[in-house]
Amino acid sequence: MSDDVRRLSDELARDPGSRVFVPLGEALRRQGQLDLALKVTLRGLERHPHFADGHDLLARIAVDRGDLEKAFDEWDMVLRLVPGHLGALKGMGFVCFQQGRHAQAEEYLSAAAAQGDGDEQVASALEHVRDARRAVAELPRDPSRLPPGTTHDPRFLFADVLSEAEQTALLLDHDGLVLAGAYVAWDGRDVGQEVGAELSGVTDAARRATRHLSLGEWTSIVFETEVAVVAMTPSTNDGLLVLATSRATPLGLVRRLLDRCAERARRWQGGRI
Amino acid sequence: MSARPFSSILDSLTRQRWVTAALVVSERDGIVVESNLQIGQSGDRVAALAASLYRKARLSAKAAGLGAVSFMQLEAPGGRICAVGGGDLVLVVVAEPAVNVGLVRVELLRAVGELLSVGGEVA
Repeated sequence: MSDDVRRLSDELARDPGSRVFVPLGEALRRQGQLDLALKVTLRGLERHPHFADGHDLLARIAVDRGDLEKAFDEWDMVLRLVPGHLGALKGMGFVCFQQGRHAQAEEYLSAAAAQGDGDEQVASALEHVRDARRAVAELPRDPSRLPPGTTHDPRFLFADVLSEAEQTALLLDHDGLVLAGAYVAWDGRDVGQEVGAELSGVTDAARRATRHLSLGEWTSIVFETEVAVVAMTPSTNDGLLVLATSRATPLGLVRRLLDRCAERARRWQGGRI
Repeated sequence: MSARPFSSILDSLTRQRWVTAALVVSERDGIVVESNLQIGQSGDRVAALAASLYRKARLSAKAAGLGAVSFMQLEAPGGRICAVGGGDLVLVVVAEPAVNVGLVRVELLRAVGELLSVGGEVA
């Protein structure tokens, strides 16, 4: 146990009603003792439920534990208690960025930057978020980025079908290899090959399941994640079309987009584009 | 510990109109933990296939940095397979095409907490 932790623990033992639980919890968090930090902080907040710094610490512990939803909720609470709380604005910007909600991340970080204290960390994070937004918006939907002399690039097959920057579509062959489109992750990277590798075989698994249950040939698979909705439908020659949209996209619209992308893929595979 | 720890979850799902089967499956090996099936249905293969599909969805979401998968549905002309995950367990529902998917989705997402809590006790 470090001297700091020992001293703060003694202080808290002497006066359990003090707010020293915050520096103690922070010291424990920094040492990686997350369970203990959480316990100390929750106990402190039982006595001081409206103490913003306590909720701020709870949010940072949640981030360290990988629970971004919980962190967001706690920082939201901090902002309700202390509007404009710098730590909470930075934290919510971080969470939104991690969840691919770039527009909201930019809003929170801009609000943090507007406090005008010249925080370099905030300025750098804001620049990073804006870069990521630009990258997602530009790739792969901007045909002007086609290589010189190229009249048609399969990466842009779904460019005009998709309406928002946070929508992306990918056409895979029966081995999970990318035929067309792209799968752009929250940070702007094209992770099509990785996603294709993971989804290879999904067509067979789906077909086996539906045949076993006499449901007929499968027509779509949709799954919701923390930040996105992913929809898939079979394509020509045992291929697979994958569409990802932001979580905010209504499921009915996801289905319509999937149908439109599937039609585009069929025409392309049939040599009509 | 009850011999059917997930019975309340499964009963509430199979009470839904057009739902024909509900199963709790181990995601890791696709083995049925508990099930409510209609007479003549064999759960083992459905369980293995549904768990495999769910695992593929989860892994691809991870590869794309999309976070945890909450709900999955497979649609075919003759019916649907819906699933949610909780820890190492997957809750699977098989339903006819006429089923109200929105309602099943809400029920499944509502059951995740219970799945985690009962699953933790069983483990």
